[in-house]
Amino acid sequence: MPGAGHATLASLHDVELCARAAAGERRAFGELARRHGSAIRHLLRRMGAQGAEADDVAQDALLAAFERIAEFRGEGTFAGWVKRIAARQYLRRLQREKRLASYVAEEARDEAEGRTEAGAAGDAERRLDLDEALKVLSRPERMCVSMCYGAGLSHAEAADALNLPLGTVKSHVKRGLEKLRTRLAPAPEVKDGAEVEGKRGNG
Amino acid sequence: MADLEFERRLERLFADAPELPDARGFAERIERRLDRGWNLRRWLIGAAGLAGGVVGASQLVLSNLFDRMETAEHSARVLGQGLARVTPASDMVSALSGGYGVWIAVGLAVVTLGFAVSRVIEEI
Repeated sequence: MPGAGHATLASLHDVELCARAAAGERRAFGELARRHGSAIRHLLRRMGAQGAEADDVAQDALLAAFERIAEFRGEGTFAGWVKRIAARQYLRRLQREKRLASYVAEEARDEAEGRTEAGAAGDAERRLDLDEALKVLSRPERMCVSMCYGAGLSHAEAADALNLPLGTVKSHVKRGLEKLRTRLAPAPEVKDGAEVEGKRGNG
Repeated sequence: MADLEFERRLERLFADAPELPDARGFAERIERRLDRGWNLRRWLIGAAGLAGGVVGASQLVLSNLFDRMETAEHSARVLGQGLARVTPASDMVSALSGGYGVWIAVGLAVVTLGFAVSRVIEEI
């Protein structure tokens, strides 16, 4: 009964599912894809990919992750690991289609324009979510911030993947963070020990 | 300190992505692609194993195997006759030294080659 099988898999921890997937159990990997697929697709959209493109890259990234599942040592979360794969695959795709250079060379966006767009989406209630806030950033800033804080890449790794000087990436991240800080509403109370995924970019 | 807090908050916001409405459908598409890839791989491994077996068998047949086997048969027959003087159980050696022995050896060689090629491709 497939339903029963899915119910059993749904009760397993990611680490156990990874072990099963490494043994060739494709249903176990399907459960991982169900759990984390949305987060990966969100990350790609936040990096600037359009809906269908984000889904394509997310699918490719998950399939690549299945092929390389034996390489996942459980240092960090499975989602973080696949997000890094997805971010790199997206950049490779942009590079292949010769779009990366123009993306990262894009001038900083007019902040007033961004504020108007973001404000229209709910600033009245001071409840701007991350997606809205990211709209204020220029494409390079958005990409750098998403790679460092969404995919968990260090500044150096992001610079390497984007083929940009480290200093440029740091500048994009710094400017992006400043803009986000002014856009995001005050932080809600957070439970102690809340899990933070990935590693913070530290150059 | 405030910077660090904001960075941690940002990481949480990135990690806290809501589930998309088609999350299940997306996962099913992944599973289908995995199944399709797996089936394709099985066919490729099978075909490669078969091709390897055929190539191996033809190499065996074309490399004067029969001459060598005939020599071996002759030696085995002499050995069998020698052993027959010692013990009646040597009938088995005589039986294997006949024409069947060649074909059994070829068959085993084909199976072994096919298996080896399949394993190598699977490992790759």
